[in-house]
Amino acid sequence: MVKYSGYKGRILRVNLTNKKTTTLDFTDEFAKKYLGGNGFAARYIWDMVDPRMAAYDPTNVVAMMTGPFQGINIPTAGKYYMATKSPLTNGYFDSVSGGYIGAQIKYAGYDGLLITGKAEKPTYIFIEDSKVEFKPAEKMWGKLTGETQEMIKEEIGDPNLCVSAIGPAGENLVRYACVITEYRAAGRGGVGAVMGSKNLKAVAVRGSGSNQVADPAKFEEWLDWYSVEAKKIPSLVAGLPIYGTPVLVASINNMFGAMGTRNHQTEVFEGWEGISGETLKRVYWSKDTACPACPIACSKVFTVKDGKWKGAISEGPEYETIYAFGSMCGISDSGALIKTDSLCDEWGIDTITYGVTLSFLMECYQKGLINKDNTDGAEFKFGNDDVLVGFVEKTAKRQGIGNLMAEGSLRASKVIGSDSERFAIQVKGLEIPGHSARALRGMALGYATATRGGSHHDPRPTGEYAGVSDRKAVEGKAAWVIGTQQMTTIGDSLVQCHFLERLLGFTLTQKFVDMINPVTGFGYNLQELVDVAERILDLERSFNVMAGIRRKNDTLPKRFLEEPIPDGPSKGMNTDEATLSRMLDEFYGIKGWDKTTGIPTKDKLVKMGLEDVALALEKL
Amino acid sequence: MSVIVTLEKKPLIKFDVQKCAFCKICELSCSKYHYGRYADSLARITVVRKSPLMLRCHICTRCEKRFCIAACPKNALSYRGGNIVVDEKFCDSCGICVKACPFHGIRLHPETKMPLICDLCDGDPSCIKACPKSALSLVLLPEARK
Repeated sequence: MVKYSGYKGRILRVNLTNKKTTTLDFTDEFAKKYLGGNGFAARYIWDMVDPRMAAYDPTNVVAMMTGPFQGINIPTAGKYYMATKSPLTNGYFDSVSGGYIGAQIKYAGYDGLLITGKAEKPTYIFIEDSKVEFKPAEKMWGKLTGETQEMIKEEIGDPNLCVSAIGPAGENLVRYACVITEYRAAGRGGVGAVMGSKNLKAVAVRGSGSNQVADPAKFEEWLDWYSVEAKKIPSLVAGLPIYGTPVLVASINNMFGAMGTRNHQTEVFEGWEGISGETLKRVYWSKDTACPACPIACSKVFTVKDGKWKGAISEGPEYETIYAFGSMCGISDSGALIKTDSLCDEWGIDTITYGVTLSFLMECYQKGLINKDNTDGAEFKFGNDDVLVGFVEKTAKRQGIGNLMAEGSLRASKVIGSDSERFAIQVKGLEIPGHSARALRGMALGYATATRGGSHHDPRPTGEYAGVSDRKAVEGKAAWVIGTQQMTTIGDSLVQCHFLERLLGFTLTQKFVDMINPVTGFGYNLQELVDVAERILDLERSFNVMAGIRRKNDTLPKRFLEEPIPDGPSKGMNTDEATLSRMLDEFYGIKGWDKTTGIPTKDKLVKMGLEDVALALEKL
Repeated sequence: MSVIVTLEKKPLIKFDVQKCAFCKICELSCSKYHYGRYADSLARITVVRKSPLMLRCHICTRCEKRFCIAACPKNALSYRGGNIVVDEKFCDSCGICVKACPFHGIRLHPETKMPLICDLCDGDPSCIKACPKSALSLVLLPEARK
């Protein structure tokens, strides 16, 4: 037991090879040093996984973590955190999803699970407090995620059971297969594929315990403060509750001209209206839903009532999916987006990577680099929604060109050749989401340096949209990006949504400290919290360094470095090689990373209390 | 808000399936009110999601038939002041009431194994106050049956 609240002090280690489980106790000091979620997983994965091993090696670990906030009534923390070495980026990778399973892990008496080894046959794990069972999953193998969850709920006899499952895409090692809980996805980077490589179909957890806060009176005060202050933030009272994340389409496309279109050949989509938040709300909206314990309820269930895709129903698409399927593939019919969104969830595929990979192939088709002989006879033209809908299943099953699509855009470009890599919209192998690296300077540097590559939850675009940081500025941008990366790292360690950033701060502020201390009893000051974030980021970077990542990998697609945005409100904008290089120098300087290699210096690691990591890097 | 309960007017927590966003804050506020900690296994209200649009709320409805009282072999349950009341001296935690309730309104406390049944928090239900979507409301029967 640890003396701080919000923790159980215990991690469950599961070895699928020999079906053995052990528990791992951690100390007070460990909790305070690594906070939870992201911090815990980064540390355990560093300790347990050889970064040079292939992602599908049985020694790779799938971490399923919680932070101190799971299972209590704190807004936007109804989530869980997954991490592994990614088959897409070959680096440290994490993905956070909404879902009650985080709270259930806590209630079952653990702060997280570390799953390693490989089961001989398809298996699912059922955890009920101290009881852990390895159950056969042969009859669920090949089944979609919704049906799998239902079958497990039925088998256990609990309609309220929390199940996180992979679809056929995970089984078939699609490099960007996701994990689905209810209708939400731990989407990116192929955590689902690593589960598939372990023959692990699902994890189901039920706990009868509880979670408490350190200082109930102070915590009540904080909740009161939240309920008053949150009402003053327009996005938390109008934007997200009414429209959800699709609300972003109109402003990003029309005000900023920053919505990647037809594989970023431009960033203004003429068909934006059909896929806008307003259209989705007016024509397709059926219901608001929320992640557990979240009063915002930004998730929307959309139903297609008539037209070509009549009958399709999905929780989502979210903004990033609208970008990936809609403007990127040149499709302005929301019906097709809703249909594809539900198919991706069912087959277990990350929507962003799927859409961006497809838009990459559409540009290859446009340029004549591939033709109907390569595409199973289909017209891979921008705007063809039959391709968007039809190739989800083929990708999940790796059939025909689906086998290439299952590899993601970077690997596909290497097969296609002809310098197509210059317009593969990815960083470190991870496809870039719908926040422009050309129109937002911070996202250029942010994507280039992010642990995960093209992720909008390492750096954040929101502060630049809000004008808090000038989106065109180069000066001071490195410090800004480091600040947003610290903020997301703390968010991912608490396992709390980043949508409170307009309330709590785009970078770490005293407001984060005031939220964390009443729950945990750490008594952090702001500098200590910043150090926690830096420690975790340095640990992730060190893992990636061991896996081969250096300064040369901290870059952007050639298209972004060499072709300014051709038209629209951000016409002429981009970050060229020289500017990026200048920002990188500044970035590494502030971080305490070596400017030529991008490797964290010994001094910095020792300062962060990571002496053992410094020693490991010295041996490189 | 306080409610005067008479035998003629039975209280009911009404659930609006369209408004509910499945955030489960009602469950957390219930366990917090009764036990000072957060746990869905201690909640006397449970929301279950069957499909993207289909939600069910499991809570004591103060039904006319009182299946639980009739089923209890130890006569440990009674209806008093608008609530089903458990006499812990007589209850032996057999769980027959849990199975007897067609509304899934009863569960056993994970530690004491005593039945957990909605008691309206002394007339001012915490779940209703906590619900951010106003999906729960307190009505008095027979008005609600009209």
